[in-house]
Amino acid sequence: MAEPLGRSKPKLALGCRWAGSDAERVVLFPEGAIRVQGPGRQILELCDGELTFDEVVAQLHQQYSLSDDQQIREDAARFLEQLHDKRIVDY
Amino acid sequence: MLAYPLALIAEITHRCPLHCVYCSNPVVLTAAKSELSTEEWLRVFQEAARLGVLHVHLTGGEPAARADLCQLIAGAHSNGLYTNLITSGIGISRDRLKSLVDAGLDHIQVSFQDSRKEHADSIAGARAHEHKAEFAGWIREHRIAFTANLVVHQQNLGHLEEMIAFLERLEPDRIEIAHTQYYGWALENRVALMPTPAQLVNASKVLSAAEARLKGRIRIDSVTADYYATYPKACMGGWGHRLMLIDPGGRALPCHAAGVIPGLVFDSVREHSLEWTWRESPAFQKFRGEAWMPEPCRSCERRTEDFGGCRCQAFLLTGDASATDPICSLAPKHDIVQRVLAATSTGRPASVQPPVLWLYRPNPK
Repeated sequence: MAEPLGRSKPKLALGCRWAGSDAERVVLFPEGAIRVQGPGRQILELCDGELTFDEVVAQLHQQYSLSDDQQIREDAARFLEQLHDKRIVDY
Repeated sequence: MLAYPLALIAEITHRCPLHCVYCSNPVVLTAAKSELSTEEWLRVFQEAARLGVLHVHLTGGEPAARADLCQLIAGAHSNGLYTNLITSGIGISRDRLKSLVDAGLDHIQVSFQDSRKEHADSIAGARAHEHKAEFAGWIREHRIAFTANLVVHQQNLGHLEEMIAFLERLEPDRIEIAHTQYYGWALENRVALMPTPAQLVNASKVLSAAEARLKGRIRIDSVTADYYATYPKACMGGWGHRLMLIDPGGRALPCHAAGVIPGLVFDSVREHSLEWTWRESPAFQKFRGEAWMPEPCRSCERRTEDFGGCRCQAFLLTGDASATDPICSLAPKHDIVQRVLAATSTGRPASVQPPVLWLYRPNPK
């Protein structure tokens, strides 16, 4: 499946939602839950259906100012693609 | 430290307009007059949420047979629980569906018996197929996640491709292809349900192709045919480890089938809190952890992956709930499973097979 495109607006897929506490955030989906932490959590929290993928990458770049922009883009795209295949993220 | 359950399976009634020949309900069903009240279920949901439960699966029987279904969904939702309804759609009109969605439902699962009306209705023992297909259309009028489930077995695996195409047209978010699990009514009808080796090989090809084709659009999950597996399934993620099931009368069980195991007493939510039951109830402790395990499980490196398999299956097939699940190729009683498979029809065309005499699941009084 294709990676998210620059202007697509990633968001949690239908039937998936946030739960848990600030210390332990989980995403619930129909048959289970995944705990998200670290960079994965930062990426997913930006995927609100309002920001485009380009804007998500730009925000991540600000947070990781020392990292390579292209690297951030590739890592975020791969992460979202995996969740897209599991129908946890839509874009 | 003992982890608390992540999911609660709420079997809110055993009443059902369908009579599926592979129903997972126990052979002895709970009578309508013994069912928990609305208030009792609402208390159960509140306790579950406090314990850290994330999901509640409302199932049955047919959950819609309860007039208070909407209230139960609202109660589970208001406690922050992810609320899943497992239904045939029978008894849910277009208007009632809207009220259930508005009450906070997160997900609906509808199980289909077949793509062909006559076959489907024969398995269900009721004229349900057309309504289900119509119901699926109503679900798509709402922004709610929808899983179409299909139970597969010897009688329908011959046209799996056609069945997947049928499910695709219903536009679900997720398709679950589940091989029949042999408990309850399915065990009674096992001879006619057990797939042949050739069917399994074909099914696996069809599934892989469908997964590749639908990737990113419809997620496909499968439940394997465990009689043909080398190792047993990690049933329920381990006994008393992740899930708690409350039956219509309020008994707390570690799984759907645990009631078959003799000597276990299942405590009721009418007398004990969920927390007490989870921690202290002897039934939940019976096969928790590894202390109960016989050899070869006890020293097996897979014991932390499959937990020795399914206790109920061990009992149903060997008469001993503490035995290694005979599905396991390492189990001392594995020959039981091998004999069942050896007796499975080698796939004669349906036209020359005698008609199946199904034992249908009745509706409880």
